[in-house]
Amino acid sequence: MLSPVKIWRNQKKIQKLLNLHGRILSWTKIYVPPLGFESQAPYVIVVVALDSGINYTAQLVDWEEKHLVIGQAVKTVLRRTRDPGEEGVIPYGIKFKPL
Amino acid sequence: MKIAVLGAATTKFGELWHISPRDLVKEAVSEALDQSGCSRSQIEAIFVGNMLSGVLGGQENLGAFFAEELNLPVSAMKVEGACASGGLAVHAGVMAITSSLYQTILVVGVEKMTDHKPEEVAKSLMGAGSDVERQAGATFPGLYALMARAHMKKYGTTEKDMASVAVKNHYHASLNSHAQFTRPITLEQVLTSSIVASPLKLLDCSPISDGAAAVVLSKNKKQKTKNKKQVYITASVVATDSLGLAERQDLTTIDAAVRAAKKAYKMAGITPGDIDVAEVHDCFTIAEIIAMEDLGFFKKGKAAASIREGKTTLGGRPVINTSGGLKACGHPVGATGVKQIVEIYKQLKGTAGKKQVKGAKIGLTHNVGGSGATAVIHILRRD
Repeated sequence: MLSPVKIWRNQKKIQKLLNLHGRILSWTKIYVPPLGFESQAPYVIVVVALDSGINYTAQLVDWEEKHLVIGQAVKTVLRRTRDPGEEGVIPYGIKFKPL
Repeated sequence: MKIAVLGAATTKFGELWHISPRDLVKEAVSEALDQSGCSRSQIEAIFVGNMLSGVLGGQENLGAFFAEELNLPVSAMKVEGACASGGLAVHAGVMAITSSLYQTILVVGVEKMTDHKPEEVAKSLMGAGSDVERQAGATFPGLYALMARAHMKKYGTTEKDMASVAVKNHYHASLNSHAQFTRPITLEQVLTSSIVASPLKLLDCSPISDGAAAVVLSKNKKQKTKNKKQVYITASVVATDSLGLAERQDLTTIDAAVRAAKKAYKMAGITPGDIDVAEVHDCFTIAEIIAMEDLGFFKKGKAAASIREGKTTLGGRPVINTSGGLKACGHPVGATGVKQIVEIYKQLKGTAGKKQVKGAKIGLTHNVGGSGATAVIHILRRD
């Protein structure tokens, strides 16, 4: 189970990462997921060069095939991340959405 | 630097459900000690390379664990650096000898992975990545797939190029009785295997494996030996980079490996062109293409064509991954970096059997942890 304290501590970082724009540097579609992501597979993960100058790795949501190209414009959104199990706190994090 | 490798051995790698980690280590150590001509009382310290014993097996304190098992109650510790744990354990052994604290030491690499289901192993391996990558649901095939896609875009590398790495390494493994996969495969089989993380397919990926490897290192040469060729480690270098892939300057290179290799060539007083044979960290086929460029064997963007043309297959030069590499010999993560030293030792000794590179004098090992956060380079040579 993810530590609720760790989730609480990490939530503070998320605010600063919301609604940032950038472009896809690379992408992959994951067919064999790790524990906690089984129900989401297959899903797309992208590395994005944010306009602010930093790079960030997260899932891409609300995509169509035409969005899966290097250079595609995206922005950050808040989404649930992994399956917390029966008793865990639901973790939220950053994902990308095509523009 | 001149550290003598007195003995070196591996177990068979594979799905070894019937053998415990204890027995794997005993087997490798007993063979390495036999070769070394050292008595057990000469071993002054043990360095154990391992990544997942705690998270998967629930067993830590591996130094004492194996010291007890081997009945060698000496200084002992575990060294961890993800898939570079084995290489780091060798580096720790080299440091221990160069510090003059010890004369003769044992390095062990071991991993037991196939007892656990794939999702568990994938999650545990992600301990080597960053928290952001774990939150994204990334896997190691996924991280290398991101590197592959960037390399394809920048240099025109194709899925067929990557597949040719797997075909070569399975061919080499077919000559290695200790390999996990001993049957050759075709380009077609690689290209039509199921997708793990696009563009990487099942046969682009190294397997989940069990196995152990051991080497005996010493300040002193072997006193009595039938095989006169003495093998030495002449460079041992570690470099690190960001844990996460996103923080790297360039997704198409592993900068830690570039920096470690440059320093290692300087330490050994050689150039990339002097290398006859190398074991490189081909956890995924794209990783071998990138390694060829990072190590200076081929110019950036030119390695794929050279591999396809057979320049790194047995008979070419430099010959890469005669053991079959991680791809086909198998990748018990903590054992891999030590196994690489074992393979190069055999090549330089001239005891590599059917996969022997004729006249090999200088060899290199390239062991990577995470998606490039840790890189360990060793250079070995014989008299």
